[in-house]
Amino acid sequence: MIMIRLENASKTYQTRHGQVRALDRVSLHINEGEFVVVRGPSGSGKTTLLLSIGGMLRPSEGQVLIKNSDIYAMSKKQRARFRAENIGFVFQLFHLVPYLNIIENVLLPVGVGRSQYGQLDAKKLVDRLKLMERMFHKPAELSAGEKQRTAIARAMLKNPKIILADEPTGNLDPENSEEIIGHLAEFHSIGGTVIVVTHGKAVDQYADRVVYLKKGHIDEP
Amino acid sequence: MTTFRLILKEMLQRKLNFLLSLLAVVIAAALFVSFFTAGEASKNETIRLMRDIGFNLRIIPEKTNMEKFWQRGYSEYTMPESYVNELASYEGISYAHITAILQKKVIWRDREIFLTGIAPELSPPGKKKTPMIFSIERGNAYIGFEIAQSLGLGKGDIIEIFGKTFTVAHSLSESGSKDDIRIYAHLYDVQGLLKIENRINEIKALQCLCIEYNTHTNSLSMLREQLAKILPDAKVILIQNIASARENQRIMAERYFGFIIPFIVIVCMSWIGILAMLNVRERRQEIGIMQALGYSSSKIGALFLGKAVLIGLIGAVVGFGIGTGLALKFGPAIFKVTANMITPQIKLLYWAVIVSPAVCALSVFIPSMIAVSQDPAITLREE
Repeated sequence: MIMIRLENASKTYQTRHGQVRALDRVSLHINEGEFVVVRGPSGSGKTTLLLSIGGMLRPSEGQVLIKNSDIYAMSKKQRARFRAENIGFVFQLFHLVPYLNIIENVLLPVGVGRSQYGQLDAKKLVDRLKLMERMFHKPAELSAGEKQRTAIARAMLKNPKIILADEPTGNLDPENSEEIIGHLAEFHSIGGTVIVVTHGKAVDQYADRVVYLKKGHIDEP
Repeated sequence: MTTFRLILKEMLQRKLNFLLSLLAVVIAAALFVSFFTAGEASKNETIRLMRDIGFNLRIIPEKTNMEKFWQRGYSEYTMPESYVNELASYEGISYAHITAILQKKVIWRDREIFLTGIAPELSPPGKKKTPMIFSIERGNAYIGFEIAQSLGLGKGDIIEIFGKTFTVAHSLSESGSKDDIRIYAHLYDVQGLLKIENRINEIKALQCLCIEYNTHTNSLSMLREQLAKILPDAKVILIQNIASARENQRIMAERYFGFIIPFIVIVCMSWIGILAMLNVRERRQEIGIMQALGYSSSKIGALFLGKAVLIGLIGAVVGFGIGTGLALKFGPAIFKVTANMITPQIKLLYWAVIVSPAVCALSVFIPSMIAVSQDPAITLREE
């Protein structure tokens, strides 16, 4: 079953130096439970593709459908709710909230709408990601690996259908990178759909498919 | 995690921003409260001081046609001379000076003059006061400046008025008013000249007050009510320049507060707004991740507006405490008469906890709108 469908999606940015076409009529189908790696040189449009799929960057042209719903046909509020229920994000810079400790950061998605998930689910995840001892520490007191594991726990808390990861190992040493990829693979193994944007090749072993982007085009190998 | 908890956590994390914002609110609220607490004392002090000055009144016969009164400068009717004694002996009012007057425009030496008879001033029992209006002995006359100049009269000259001889006891200096064509004599002498025995047409009462003072009633109205009881055939006119001065002082005080308070509020609003803008800039990525996690614009806006409201509430309470403390400490030295009237004004606390959060929310409205409208796709890609 197709989970994500991009139909001739293009994205053009207006910069001081003129227009930049980050995505150029990209069509891409990703099945439910698929692990896709998106790779390409810097400026090839990888992050733009990921944010467009995540409902955070409206394409200039074309459509993005998730579970057959055109997410950009939704209102901003509906899209925010849809994102909260279906998509988890992991970023290279972790983007943890600095004044919240680990467990509070993991619980952050619970603040959106009515949620069946709570403290107990967060603690289970924290335990699974080996953060139990650091549960009440704030991000400034954590290592890079711990921060990224916290970000993964936060992405997984509401049991999303999709995890979108933008260079999740970009700031990590090989050992931590492997651990993070392992957690993403674990999510995939229980039926989750994973899209990882990365320069690294370590993740390829878990991928069902690798998509190459070049100057905003999909460049199938 | 509730919005309130997120706000609290953020405030504790970024203490400097919180404390500076709080300081702005506390300063504004403290100034507001201290001004109004002391201002209330100032108002009471003004009332007391004015009350102690008393009213300068003209008491004239009830039937007086006021148009003619203002044209002529005196009443064409008379009232019993005994009124002045009744007024002086009435215990319901206090006064500094009371005098009875009989005056009339007459032709003397081919010119119109005001012949004015003045009785010796009455002072309150046991309080001998310097006369406010001169006291004239019988057989003497005081001559207005214009009359003295045109007739070449001076002190010691003998004049005859309607067959009665008077000695010029004093030649008055120029007043620039009708007094320059006035001849003053003792009341009894003038009553005899005008053949109006035991009658007067005006009582001047200076610094006249009711003994019982009710703060909830206009003191002039009270005084008029009191006088109506003893002088039923008389009416009371307030000498207007005192009333005008009083009104002008009140308006001036209101304008002063009207200028200073908005000025303070605008400065503090700008201060809070700038701090909120810096706070939004500092939290760009946090806002971005919240948007990515599905937080709606209203929820993100609520984080900033809620913080402002909370700061406003805390600032209002702290500001009220400090403002009241300042007023209590320094107010008595400024307003000595009403020092004991400087008390905490609880109604100002109610106002502060309503107005202060509202003003804070208004101050951070634009920064909040900027926060909710920022593009998460841009902020989350920034390194």
